[in-house]
Amino acid sequence: MTLSEGRIGQFYFVKELKLEHTTKQRLEALGLIDGTKVELLNQNYNGAIVFKVRGTRLAIGKKIADAIFVEEVA
Amino acid sequence: MREELHVGFVGNPNCGKTTLFNAYTGAKLKVANWPGVTVEKKEGAMRYHNERFKLVDLPGIYSLTSYTLEEKLTRQYILEDDVDVIIDVADASSLERNLYLTLQLIELGKPVILALNMMDIVEERGMEIDLHRLPEMLGIPVIPVSARKKTGLDILMHAVSHHKDKLNDNNLEHHHIGNQEKDSEHVHEHHKEYAVVYSDDIEDKIDSISEILLYNYPGIKNVRWHAIKLLEQDEEIMERYPVNLSGIVDRNYETDIINQKYDFIEEIIEEVLVNKSKKEASTDKVDRILTHRFWGMPIFFAVIGLVFFLTFSIGNIFAGYFEGIISSFSELVLNFLISIHAGDILTSLVVDGIIAGVGGILTFLPNIAILFLALAILEDSGYMARVAYVMNGIMGKIGLSGRAFIPMLLGFGCTVPAVMASRTLENIKDRRKTIFVTPFMSCSAKIPIYVLFSGMFFKKNAALVALSMYVIGLIIGILAAYIMNKIDKQEEGQISTLLIELPEYKAPNVRTILIYVWDKIKDYLSKAGTTIFLASVIIWFILNFGTKGMVTDMSQSFGASIGRFLVPVLAPAGLGLWQIGVALISGLAAKEVVVASFGILFGIADINTPAGMTQLSDMLQPLGFGTLNAFALMLFCLLYTPCAAAVGVIAKELKSVKLTLFTILFQLVIAWAVATIVYQIGSLI
Repeated sequence: MTLSEGRIGQFYFVKELKLEHTTKQRLEALGLIDGTKVELLNQNYNGAIVFKVRGTRLAIGKKIADAIFVEEVA
Repeated sequence: MREELHVGFVGNPNCGKTTLFNAYTGAKLKVANWPGVTVEKKEGAMRYHNERFKLVDLPGIYSLTSYTLEEKLTRQYILEDDVDVIIDVADASSLERNLYLTLQLIELGKPVILALNMMDIVEERGMEIDLHRLPEMLGIPVIPVSARKKTGLDILMHAVSHHKDKLNDNNLEHHHIGNQEKDSEHVHEHHKEYAVVYSDDIEDKIDSISEILLYNYPGIKNVRWHAIKLLEQDEEIMERYPVNLSGIVDRNYETDIINQKYDFIEEIIEEVLVNKSKKEASTDKVDRILTHRFWGMPIFFAVIGLVFFLTFSIGNIFAGYFEGIISSFSELVLNFLISIHAGDILTSLVVDGIIAGVGGILTFLPNIAILFLALAILEDSGYMARVAYVMNGIMGKIGLSGRAFIPMLLGFGCTVPAVMASRTLENIKDRRKTIFVTPFMSCSAKIPIYVLFSGMFFKKNAALVALSMYVIGLIIGILAAYIMNKIDKQEEGQISTLLIELPEYKAPNVRTILIYVWDKIKDYLSKAGTTIFLASVIIWFILNFGTKGMVTDMSQSFGASIGRFLVPVLAPAGLGLWQIGVALISGLAAKEVVVASFGILFGIADINTPAGMTQLSDMLQPLGFGTLNAFALMLFCLLYTPCAAAVGVIAKELKSVKLTLFTILFQLVIAWAVATIVYQIGSLI
């Protein structure tokens, strides 16, 4: 599943970022790498989301959110 | 060692770096641009005991790659020996992410001191940081500070003074989980030297690349860092040190290196962070309302409405006092000049030229100060970033990310920093589009025009009419972007998408805000003292002199000839008076000059007082200039080509003469078209 399909308030492990090089590296620099735990905080009517990664809140557009593949934390 | 110690402040955005920097330098800082680019460079000087420090506030960055200009600049500045000691400012409440930059800075090989900011927030949340273990693991001094409460400031500079010549390897003491060193093919003794040690295969590669680099470039400094960058296939470094690494760098190792840095960070956090925050951060509670999927946008519009309401309502109360002072000053000067029998020319220059021009502008200082105060509070509190998220939907419709809304919002203050802020957008097409649209956001220099003309012709509805300018500007800007988006379909994958950090909400720092507002007031005052002063003198000259020398009737002046030339063009828009032509041309120097010009053109020194306004409207009415004309004039001023300073910055950012000329022309055409349509339709009704 992708982070876009997540539930607000739920934690997820990052599996893969299917993004072009620059955006991918930028997200990786912010600590969004394989296995990182993230929490989905908010979702806008247009598909933009807010999530927490390593203590930081990031807002991303739908396009990036659709490309972050995650796995639900049991 | 040079006389001054150069201390560079580096840190993530929103880590309190600028607040800390301001705590040392106060308002006495020099703001310039980095050579060749419009990224702000702030410098300040201070004395610590017998040493002189030059403090440099570097741009806020998350990492030291070469993907953004800010990152490249910071890296360059540190590498080129322009800096002796780095103060790495980290937000202690979000240590995990901040340490990533710290590790990269340590790798650069300069003396680094970690300033742990926001320790008060850490305590509030019941977290604790082991300040003994952290420096051991990083090999650098760690100083807890609070930029807001101004604690730890002296100790930090003490550390700078003592640490300037030292390498970062003192006290370095750590061991990796699983003790990877044991199964290495050749022994890596690096743990005693480097904070970050990578896996064996990567360390082997770093060693091999280092050897090759040292062989080819014997003088190379900090070879390990360069080797790591080559392993990451960093474009800039690959260009500067072209070496054949086939067989070693078989693929891009950047992701591996990032992963391993974060592995190390996780180890650090595991060891030094006690009582990880259990309490829900209050930011999340506030965000549930402010970034609510339905309420977020109405709340934003309410906030921005309040900002403009305060700008005009409270601003005008103060402006009243200013007017009184300026008009009595004008009278005083006039009487003085008469008493010393100064010539007519001098008296006219001072009273009708300089005081009418510059004084008329100073009146608006309160409005402008309040507007910038409000923008500073929105920014410093952390709300500005939320605006990008909340507005992302609307902005998406015009092909821009929500982030582009921030420069547009700043455009309400001043187009110059707003255009510069468009730099935060990665995509060049987005940047161009944003730069194109930003001047339509009514800047604070246009306030005097609205106040004067809406005050004269709309009486009770004056505030409403002034506010309507902001809305119209916004709508035209969005329409322009929408049309551009339709014409210029971006390829798939190019579509810009939002990526922004939402910082913790915090009470705005009074000092930071006051310094920011004071900076803007200074800009405004110096503009009044230079551009507007000069423009006033020039306008006075072209209006009081003609081919036959000084004229008593302005309609015989040079200015009138120039203005008359424009009359046929401006007439359809209801602006067919030569005086308006002159005022609009003068507005290209700075928008406030439009008002100053009216003061000079009609010889009214106290143009902003009720008496002055009545006088001016009494003079305009017989010329056929009524309410509709005033509205058309305000529209034209709202939309036409921005001031020279803004055009300069636009040209610099667009890096294209053609595009800049197109922008100027486009804005002129839009202004004329909108004013004409409104005037023509209005005339029918």
